[in-house]
Amino acid sequence: MRIVIAEDDALLREGLALLLRAEGLDVVATTDAPAPFLDAVEEHKPDIAIIDVRMPPTHTDEGIVAAVEARRRRPGLAVLVLSAYVEQAFATELLAHGSARLGYLLKERVGRVEEFLTALHRVAGGGTAIDPEVIGQLLARTRPDSTLDRLSPREIDVLALMAEGLGNTAIAEKLFVTEGAVQKHIRRIFAKLDLPPDDRADRRVTAVLRYLDLGR
Amino acid sequence: MTYRRRMTRLRVAVGVLRHNLGGLGTSVLALPILIAVFLGLLLTPLGRRAVRRVADRERARLTRWGPPVIGPPPLPTGTRDALRDPSVRRELAWLAVHGTIGLLVGLAGLSLPIYAIEYTTFPLWFRALDPSLGGPGFLSGPGDGLTGALEISVLGLVFAAATIGLLPGITRLQAFPGRRQLAPPPGADLSLRVAELTATRAAALDAHATELRRIERSLHDGTQNRLVALNVLIGAARRAQDRNPAAVAELLDRAQDATEQALAELRAVVRGILPPVLDDRGLASALAGLAGASAVPCRLDVQLPGRCAVSVEATVYFVVAEALTNVAKHSGASAAAVTVRRDGERLLLRITDDGHGGAGLDSGGSGLTGIRRRIEAYDGRFTLTSPPGGPTTMDVELPCGS
Repeated sequence: MRIVIAEDDALLREGLALLLRAEGLDVVATTDAPAPFLDAVEEHKPDIAIIDVRMPPTHTDEGIVAAVEARRRRPGLAVLVLSAYVEQAFATELLAHGSARLGYLLKERVGRVEEFLTALHRVAGGGTAIDPEVIGQLLARTRPDSTLDRLSPREIDVLALMAEGLGNTAIAEKLFVTEGAVQKHIRRIFAKLDLPPDDRADRRVTAVLRYLDLGR
Repeated sequence: MTYRRRMTRLRVAVGVLRHNLGGLGTSVLALPILIAVFLGLLLTPLGRRAVRRVADRERARLTRWGPPVIGPPPLPTGTRDALRDPSVRRELAWLAVHGTIGLLVGLAGLSLPIYAIEYTTFPLWFRALDPSLGGPGFLSGPGDGLTGALEISVLGLVFAAATIGLLPGITRLQAFPGRRQLAPPPGADLSLRVAELTATRAAALDAHATELRRIERSLHDGTQNRLVALNVLIGAARRAQDRNPAAVAELLDRAQDATEQALAELRAVVRGILPPVLDDRGLASALAGLAGASAVPCRLDVQLPGRCAVSVEATVYFVVAEALTNVAKHSGASAAAVTVRRDGERLLLRITDDGHGGAGLDSGGSGLTGIRRRIEAYDGRFTLTSPPGGPTTMDVELPCGS
């Protein structure tokens, strides 16, 4: 897997590259600002780009802007955005054009290497990885009269994992239940929320996120 | 009377005398301007500015010695408008009184302590006085030898008592026209003062928000990133344990570096919020630390009895820190000096350097703007003198708030 990294903090950038190379992944370029990042994407045509949200010059949302721009220039480019904190506005902006090949994770998730690599592969393979923190905030934010009240606690667990981008197998593993049980939960969730049944991971994510008021 | 109370009395008397002298100073300035006004100078902008200037001086003086006297709105430009302006008329009324009666009252006030000293000490120097020239001061004769001189020194004590007893009243009398005519008339529109307060308050909030942003940024982009890097390195080390144990040592080395950096940055952030040394050791020690760390050699002279409000001390600390950074970055100076004094309820700070000058609030010096904002937020005063070629002097005046 060919990877381009954009991260302005030198230590973190090198640490990330070190980690990925040790896993046998091909880090083709590391950059420290939006402009060189976009150049590197054009030049190296990576499978996936890992990019930090806060970068020079203003250290606000340069990474998001660069990610959106990179995807505009190279449609289908997988992008994994890393952020020091969760900001719904960023997630909304990223997901505005669908959730396929898109990841939005807190930086600290990188430390859980196995899970991080799983998310990385999932995004590169066309899936989605949304940080549990984002999903948690969205679920907490929903109004009291929300239709979410119709869901059982178990169904809300399944919904949250689905929104993160996990497939049925992964959800079953996380909740220590069978895949059949997960499928049953999902069918019931879709029915209660009037969402079209669909099995492809990113379509499911889009549907769920849209329902949760994100990614409009 | 205890020693301490006596000293307090003495200090009050000296203060009143200085107050009186200040008033005398403005009436001495007022007199020629009054004459000039009579000669028609009020019809020129220069004359009007002169009146406003001396009035402002008196306002500043009165503010220093009592409740603040708030200035009027800016002078109207046209002669006709100026003559119709109520605050200009009130200033003229004050000028007429203060330049004449005020001058006499001031002189009378000043004469009391002078006679007190002259007469009390007369026995010490009466022999030097030629009797044919009359007595000391307003007396017609020096009296009869030492006995006469001693009698006169008793008169001196009467004047000393009068100084302590009457001078405060005389000084109040001298200040009365100014307090009456130079303050806004009762029920006047205080919108200007309100606007000024609103502006300084907004600037204070702005400065505050800038501060918070700076802190947030240094936590996010500094400390937090270090911890994330640490987390990544630990994760990598765990993965390497099974597959490539040789790499673990290097990863742990890097992890330790990241930890040390995180700690160093955290220390810097904390120091930036409120330097702990300020709390522990007081302003003088905190400033000594700054001066010692300054890239340009810096002489420090702090004479500050007692403590000021914590926020004021913190402001002084940051102003000095920012100013010394500016000196090192832009001035090309080879030496700098920081002086801190206390004048009653005010703290006076002066920072000078021998660099090439030319520093200005407009010349992209966001550091200077930040300094000014911080100071204005405390109703303080900030003056910067930096002619091209240098030297640069920064004067800061802050209320102590304690």
